[in-house]
Amino acid sequence: MAKKVKLSNESSQKADEILAFHGYSSLEELIGNLIDSEYEKIKSDDDKDEQAEKLSGLGYIS
Amino acid sequence: MKRRDFIKSTGTIVAASPFMNFGAGIKNNKKMLVLGFDGMDPMIAYDMIQRGELPNLKRLAQSGVFSMMRTTIPPQSPVAWGSFITGADPGKYGLFDFVHRDPETYFPITSGAETIPASLNIKIGKYKIPLKPGKIVPKREGKAFWDYLEEKDVEATIFKIPSNYPPSKSKQRTIAGMGTPDIHGTYGISTLYTSDEEEAMKDITPNNLFYAYLNEENVLEDGEILGPVNDLVENGEKTKVSFKVFVDKENKTARIDVDGKEILIAEKEYSDWVEIDFPLIKGVSSITGMVKFYMMDIEKSFRLYISPIHISPKTPAVEISTPPEYAEELAKKVGLFHTIGLPADTKALSQETFGVEEFLTQSNSVFDESKKLFGYEYEKFLNKKNGFLFFYFGSLDQGQHMLWALTDKDHPYYHPEEAKRFGYMKEELYRMHDRILGDVLNTMPKDMGLIVLSDHGFGTFRRKVNLNTFLFNEGYLKFGVNEIDTEISLFDDYSEYDWGNTKAYAVGLNGLYLNMKGRESQGIVTKGERRKLLEELQGKIQQIRDPENGRQVISEAFITEDHFSPDFLIRSPDIILGFNRGYRSSDSSALGGATREMVTNNMNWWAGDHCINPRHVPASFFSNFPINKKIPSIKDMAPTILNYFGINETPTMNGDSLI
Repeated sequence: MAKKVKLSNESSQKADEILAFHGYSSLEELIGNLIDSEYEKIKSDDDKDEQAEKLSGLGYIS
Repeated sequence: MKRRDFIKSTGTIVAASPFMNFGAGIKNNKKMLVLGFDGMDPMIAYDMIQRGELPNLKRLAQSGVFSMMRTTIPPQSPVAWGSFITGADPGKYGLFDFVHRDPETYFPITSGAETIPASLNIKIGKYKIPLKPGKIVPKREGKAFWDYLEEKDVEATIFKIPSNYPPSKSKQRTIAGMGTPDIHGTYGISTLYTSDEEEAMKDITPNNLFYAYLNEENVLEDGEILGPVNDLVENGEKTKVSFKVFVDKENKTARIDVDGKEILIAEKEYSDWVEIDFPLIKGVSSITGMVKFYMMDIEKSFRLYISPIHISPKTPAVEISTPPEYAEELAKKVGLFHTIGLPADTKALSQETFGVEEFLTQSNSVFDESKKLFGYEYEKFLNKKNGFLFFYFGSLDQGQHMLWALTDKDHPYYHPEEAKRFGYMKEELYRMHDRILGDVLNTMPKDMGLIVLSDHGFGTFRRKVNLNTFLFNEGYLKFGVNEIDTEISLFDDYSEYDWGNTKAYAVGLNGLYLNMKGRESQGIVTKGERRKLLEELQGKIQQIRDPENGRQVISEAFITEDHFSPDFLIRSPDIILGFNRGYRSSDSSALGGATREMVTNNMNWWAGDHCINPRHVPASFFSNFPINKKIPSIKDMAPTILNYFGINETPTMNGDSLI
């Protein structure tokens, strides 16, 4: 279900500038893109943690 | 021959001349056994032979050859055994370290195998069913010598050779060794339940640690064994299996109820293997692993150790043998056995979950199991008219890593009390391996070829070196800060790395990479600058001195393009660091991090090592036939084995036959 988001005036003005600068067609598109990119970061951090866990199990690395 | 003469004489003891003709007729025989004693150091073996403590190795040397053997650059097991397998230098099979790096992200990655995740999932309810299953791809390239044997119809059994996980496709009987993961896909994650509140607060990452709450009736009600992540459900969570422990303090015993089984166990005792099914889709799909329980303490506090979850050889979750049913055959005939590549739980001793005694109990059980498995394979082999058997023993390597400080009074982690009790164990490990050889010498046919070898020797590891700190101090590696507070880690502080201005970085136990334009994602070093920079770094690295005592830290820096075939050089570090005796890469450096101090004391039970200059840790070679080189190389082994069976065309190899 879609959610409504309340933005402060300052954030709203900044969002308008980003829309104009990057050529997003709508605020929804900008927010969707930001969520996607933040989500990717979390996922890649998970992968990194998994890799760190994997390597630190090697006796050579404590 | 005196010790010094042994070294000066190029390290070879050869048999008296009557044996020298033995080689002439050996090619007609068609049976050969190779025993791989990982980490057997030729100087320790020599000293013990001189003292009469390794009578069987002495017998073997007297019937043929005992020599030092050149190992690989770097002298790490996956690299050296890769050379043994393929008869070539690392450039031809693409393994250069336990840890490689991803040139796209700069992150360290395991070198031996790559996991390709499942894809094309369809959703059914809460489940995510992959139409294209994931797979694990071996990264060791080159043609294994047993493939040549197969082409000539020579049957071979290759038991737990490192650098063969997942096992390469073959009709020969092979079972994977070092590199084989636990059921989580890691090198082995164990679990400790403790009622000691202080211990329960410790960080033993990546292992699991839980506080054990025992109720008034001395029952641990809420035990859990965490299984693999269930990738079949959305946002997959770890699978788990519950267990309860009923403690009888009076009789110092406990009953563990797990997965429909009841396990009775006394204090200080290990259970047998317990197979456990982790459910993926209830009633439809599960994944089977196996663990051992170790009731470490009941009286003082409750301490229950649960081993890493091994892949069960009876129903392997991933392929660990060729043919796939070979693992099952072994389990049926000999019983369940450790399948993790490095089965001695060195981490438990490093993290002080185990004391030395507990470590020895666990690691000796691994050795006893290896002996049992060898007994089964050797008997089968004796009953054959011809064929080849390779059998690997890893206990000498793992033991020397962990017990070295007990015999090294100058080691910063020397423990005098433990040294008094357990100092004999390092040499006892040599004697234990010698006794295995004794059984072979007493039963083998006279015309059977026999080789006993190691992949590298051993030495002390007193001081840890961070190469990235050196590179940062010298301006080759740039961060967003001008000085390092305590540590900058690739995993935690990625944004601090200024790749756009970095020329070189270290990842792995011996690897140093240039930040090459067109190879690394943010590389800046051009092909034209490459050679000059390599030589500049080589010179500077060899000049690094230990600030505490002025000793040279790296006795040799190897520019890899001068030493390796070009085939898979693209994966290789540009320089391999040959640490001086007593020094090795720090953990932080191996994982791409940098610390404020460049050289620090090694305060860990992991106090012996071999990831140093290969000239300081040569391997050992024994055979019951003479050889044609004063100092053989590990890459000569495969051509020698093949020549023994009359196979001389080995186009993928660049080692030499020794017969």
